[in-house]
Amino acid sequence: MGQSLIWYLKEFARIEWIKKFLFAKTAPLVTPSYFRGFPEPTGKICQNALFCMMVCPAPGAIEVVHDEDGWIPRIHKGHCIRCGFCVEACPNGILKSGRILETKEREGTSLLFSFRIAIDLELCTGCGNCCTACPVNKVIDAQMGAGGHSSNDEVIMRVQEGDIVVIHEDKCTGCKTCEVSCPTGAIRIARILEGYQQPVQEESQ
Amino acid sequence: MILNDVVCPFCGCLCDDLELEVEGDRVVRVQNGCSLAEATFMNDTRLPAPIRRTTTGWEKISYDEAIKETADILKDADRPLLYGWSSTHGEAQSVGVHIAERIGAVIDNTSTVCHGPSILAIQEVGHPGCTLGQVKNRADVIIYWGCNPIEAHPRHMSRYTTFATGFFVPDAQRERTVIVVDTRRNDTANIADEFLQMEPGGDYAVLSALRAIVRGKESIIPKKVAGISKEQLIRVANICKNAKFGAIFFGLGLTMSRGKYKNVRNAIELTDELSRHTKFVISPMRGHGNVYGSNEVFTWMTGYPFAVDFARGIAFYNPGETTAVDILRRGECDAALIVASDPGANFPRVAAAHLAKIPTVLIDPHVNATTALSRIHIPCTAAGIDAAGTAYRMDGVPIRMKKVIERGYPDDAEILKKIYDRLNGEMGS
Repeated sequence: MGQSLIWYLKEFARIEWIKKFLFAKTAPLVTPSYFRGFPEPTGKICQNALFCMMVCPAPGAIEVVHDEDGWIPRIHKGHCIRCGFCVEACPNGILKSGRILETKEREGTSLLFSFRIAIDLELCTGCGNCCTACPVNKVIDAQMGAGGHSSNDEVIMRVQEGDIVVIHEDKCTGCKTCEVSCPTGAIRIARILEGYQQPVQEESQ
Repeated sequence: MILNDVVCPFCGCLCDDLELEVEGDRVVRVQNGCSLAEATFMNDTRLPAPIRRTTTGWEKISYDEAIKETADILKDADRPLLYGWSSTHGEAQSVGVHIAERIGAVIDNTSTVCHGPSILAIQEVGHPGCTLGQVKNRADVIIYWGCNPIEAHPRHMSRYTTFATGFFVPDAQRERTVIVVDTRRNDTANIADEFLQMEPGGDYAVLSALRAIVRGKESIIPKKVAGISKEQLIRVANICKNAKFGAIFFGLGLTMSRGKYKNVRNAIELTDELSRHTKFVISPMRGHGNVYGSNEVFTWMTGYPFAVDFARGIAFYNPGETTAVDILRRGECDAALIVASDPGANFPRVAAAHLAKIPTVLIDPHVNATTALSRIHIPCTAAGIDAAGTAYRMDGVPIRMKKVIERGYPDDAEILKKIYDRLNGEMGS
């Protein structure tokens, strides 16, 4: 019995094993050279276009907040997947990440948003909630914001013949206030993202 | 021709900002109005001439003949009923009251089957109300109880409450909290901040529970009240107590469910309770364009808002006895004049069946379910479309409705005046 215990300790309580067990270290996390980093601010002033938030595929990864210095995009690293879409979408070059911004500027590429307002006339009751709530409409015609009536042709949409009629789709900023104000789900905003390339003019010889 | 600031006569909102395009005797375009307003002006199909029932069908008769026969029916009746009035203007309503007084009739309006209980409650405990303009400019908490404005009063939220920019609530819907209480998830609930879904018939209990919480007696509330959790009730009570200005709007879900006028009384008392903490108001969501007006006109002429019985020669009011449905249900009534409403579609079957048995005359611009029960149907102008007149909005504000087209029909006030004159002539003035 005694002999077998000594044999056991000899066999298994090896110094190097104990050292390894007590002082084991995981290799430090190294970001591979081919990974891009998290988006970082370039120092330009944010214009609150919110394209970054609209394009971001990771829920909760970016939000544009207002602090003392104005609007800034805030990145939540736990959510961010470092896809770099926000850098590509930002029309004002507020963010950079790896070489995305340089490539974008060199090649003249951009991601552009446009918005389509779809109205289901079967569901629309003409209540006017959407055109009264619309923040763009409120600015264009105060009367619209004050009670849902307008004779102004400059507004995005207004009630005509008992239904909502879209007059200026181009002025839509895609905020979807109308969508959440509609009790019957009759209005839907589609955000359309298109990739553009504007060839950079080569310097004349 | 384009007409501005036209009043839509359809519902109690009486929106007075419509823009109409008119060609001759037709409205061709309605701007700013909801789909109900559009249908009111555009799908205005009228009965072309007075008709009288024959044994096999209907025959056309002249207005004079129709008026004479109506006057004869009313003159010969022992207990005539004059019912309706809510879709016409105050001028016609007042002639109606004169006729009722002249022949000793019972005169009742449509609030008997909608907000009658609200009136009974108001007679008991008063009406802490205000105009919709106050709500629009001040309210930051809006409660819709037992009503669905999106379907019944589509522009209520965009014009007067939730979405309209107010003087003291410039950020409209972001500053306002909308609470919907109903037995089912209706369209309005889809855009509410809080939706209290209660079991049918639970209004009284829920109102009492809210009153108790506002009073600081939340410990006596059980875990659930009519299907609503105690936590939600406490949350809603706190929202109300912390409001700057709150407005409760209630519909037939409150007035016509179990408890009836006691529900409304409880709701008014909740308003009173909340007003000890902040400012709260309560208002009924009146249905017909001028149903409030019929209450007003009846009240200033007879002293009572609906169900007025002139059989004794003086005005007598006893809802439950002198209300139209009860008179018909008991089979008391032996002739009926229906003006600007459709009891055939809305009354209980037994009451409608009695209307079909007795000589019933309908004065209404459109063919409706009551035509099928009538002996004579006299078409007339529609108030707010081809007749001008006064109507009262749901908050009691009188609004002058415009005449926008001429379609060649006589005004219902004029028809009623001729009936009245004939009755006066034959019965001796």
